[in-house]
Amino acid sequence: MNQRIIQAYRQAPWRVQLQWIGLFLLMLVAGMLIAGVYLYVSGRAAETGARIKALEVEREGLAIRIADMRTQLALLNSSQVMLERAEQLGYRPVEREDLVYLPVAGVTGREVVFLAPPPASVQRENKLLRPAYTQSLWDLFYQTAYQYLNTRGGQGQ
Amino acid sequence: MNDGIGRMRLIGAVFVLLSAAIVYQMIRIQNSEHSRQLVELFAKTYNQQVRIILPERGNIYDRWGNLLAGNKEVYEVGIAPPQVVNPETVARDLAAVLEVDYYDTLRKAESYQKEANERYELIKDFVPADKIRQLEQKLAEYEKAEKTKKGNPPSLAGVYWKPHLIRSYPENELAANVLGFYNFLDRWNGRGMLGLEEQYNNLLAGNKQQIVLPLNPTEIQEIPEIPPGASLITSIDRDIQAAMERIIDQAVEANGAESGTLVVMDPKSGEILAMATTPHFNPNEYWRYDEIFPVGSYYNRAISQLYEPGSVFKVLTMAAAIDAGVVQPETPFVDVGAIEVGGIWIYNWDRGAWGPQDMVGCMQHSLNVCLAWVAQELGPSQFYKYLQDFGIGRYTGIDLAGEQVYPLSLPGDSNWYPVNLGTNSFGQGVATTPIQMITAIAAMANEGKMMAPHVVKAYVQDGIQYPVNPRVIRQVVKPETARTITEMLAVSLENEASNALVEGYRVAGKTGTAEIPGPGGYTDMTNASFVGWGPVDDPRFIVYVWLEKPTSSPWGSVVAAPVFSQAVEELVVLMKIPPDEVRQQLASP
Repeated sequence: MNQRIIQAYRQAPWRVQLQWIGLFLLMLVAGMLIAGVYLYVSGRAAETGARIKALEVEREGLAIRIADMRTQLALLNSSQVMLERAEQLGYRPVEREDLVYLPVAGVTGREVVFLAPPPASVQRENKLLRPAYTQSLWDLFYQTAYQYLNTRGGQGQ
Repeated sequence: MNDGIGRMRLIGAVFVLLSAAIVYQMIRIQNSEHSRQLVELFAKTYNQQVRIILPERGNIYDRWGNLLAGNKEVYEVGIAPPQVVNPETVARDLAAVLEVDYYDTLRKAESYQKEANERYELIKDFVPADKIRQLEQKLAEYEKAEKTKKGNPPSLAGVYWKPHLIRSYPENELAANVLGFYNFLDRWNGRGMLGLEEQYNNLLAGNKQQIVLPLNPTEIQEIPEIPPGASLITSIDRDIQAAMERIIDQAVEANGAESGTLVVMDPKSGEILAMATTPHFNPNEYWRYDEIFPVGSYYNRAISQLYEPGSVFKVLTMAAAIDAGVVQPETPFVDVGAIEVGGIWIYNWDRGAWGPQDMVGCMQHSLNVCLAWVAQELGPSQFYKYLQDFGIGRYTGIDLAGEQVYPLSLPGDSNWYPVNLGTNSFGQGVATTPIQMITAIAAMANEGKMMAPHVVKAYVQDGIQYPVNPRVIRQVVKPETARTITEMLAVSLENEASNALVEGYRVAGKTGTAEIPGPGGYTDMTNASFVGWGPVDDPRFIVYVWLEKPTSSPWGSVVAAPVFSQAVEELVVLMKIPPDEVRQQLASP
């Protein structure tokens, strides 16, 4: 006498319709929400992109200005200009007889200019744009997950 | 209840239909032929930009960091015809400020209105920054006035300017013969010409890159940071170079010479401290090259002009003979005023006979007969082997474009005759450049080691400074030979009370006077030279002076030796070399 008892009932048709309509509207709203977020993110990305382009143009301009300023400074300090300025200030070229030499401990004389550090074993990579500005959402998820898993793996060892 | 359900169904159906219509329209637009063509056109035309990025050309500095060659900001000015609002204003202002043709500019400014021209029109390139400031001022004035005026107010809308760099030499003519020049008016294919600019063109220029940039702002792509070309730090000392240029100019003028050359080198490293030649040239105006250097003339005589050096060459002959053990400073020689070599008689410069001499006397009086005898004693094979070791007939390899060399005639060559042994011994019948001579003779001031001459001391690339280390060409004579020759030449200058002497400093040196060959043999014109170094006990400099065709006097001892003295007077101050007495006192405990 092993019997299964199943309750026999059925939703009212109007309830089923309402559920379908509700489900459809829910999906529609969800889709619109996603589209809204996508639009917002795209808009922000476009704005940032435009700003980056503007900054890059500005950077190029600044690099040109710096080079120009360096040359202008050299013009103001050129041999001929400095000579004229010194003469205007009442100086005259030093002669051999004017000089007095004194021994000064620790002074090794003038050293040749160093405009940059000497060769080093390690060189840094210096990228201007952070990866966050160029990677896709998928790249971000993948990279984060990869890092997360790697970190966990590392802890387990 | 049924009415409610019916309304709900109706609303549901409307929403479904509306959504389906939107989806359908989206799919239809996306896949229509016109849309596809439009997207392709936009992608091709507006979605990306191809840019050629020229890296900033590397700078050239002197040894203390003074800029000798840099870059200057200039502008390219152009018009976007569709954006021009007031063509008359554009044409008038650009013509006034940029000094361009008014009607041509007006035609370009009106080209959109008249011919629907949408192309960018270049008005002028290489516009100095101060002209752009004037345009900016006018632009600001018009923008201010536009707010109050009605109708077609003056406007510079549609005019664009974009900065770029051109080569600039802030010291103008200083060291131009060393630097060379860059033909910056050719913006895309410019290259270094002569001197350092040509020799190191690839290093200075860097790598230009062509990149494709998306114009869609959401597709952000980093513009690769193109590193500037490498910068060069030269061994040139700006102050010494300026002083040497001044001295050689005065010497050329005072002696009525055709040209002058003065080279200063550190004999211990081969670094060129100064290289002054005439005439002068401003590389900022390189288009005047042909005016200043007509065909057959030399941009840098110190490395390019071959000439018979004359008696300064005797230093090499005597060094070879002493090094080979053929003669000693005290070796006697009786000068009878003539000697036969290869069947040809050779005479002294004054056609006189100087009687009993030793080798110091031979050098002191610059006796051709004596040196020809020394060369004979040495023998052709040893003599020419030494000359080849000294680099005669070979490139020194100096890092400047344009070095010239004349092959040395050797025994067995069709153009070598036995008399050459005699004439070559005193610097006739052999052609060299000043840089070859100073490189060879500098070995006497550096314990017999011949150093490779060079101008670049270090270079800076990608933010790192790489030194260029001095290079020994070879040990050409023994250290004691070099010291003996130095002592002999110091004594000979002192005995002679030479014009080359400098009070307080002991220097060694040798004069040179070489007749210049013409179409019918040797002429009355001469090349007057002097080579000297000091201080004798610790040489810090070697100076080579050459005056071409002096008219005040033909003799090196009269015209070139005083130039050496004057140069050393300034050198010891600029190089902070104390007088011998002071230096020895300071050195002693």
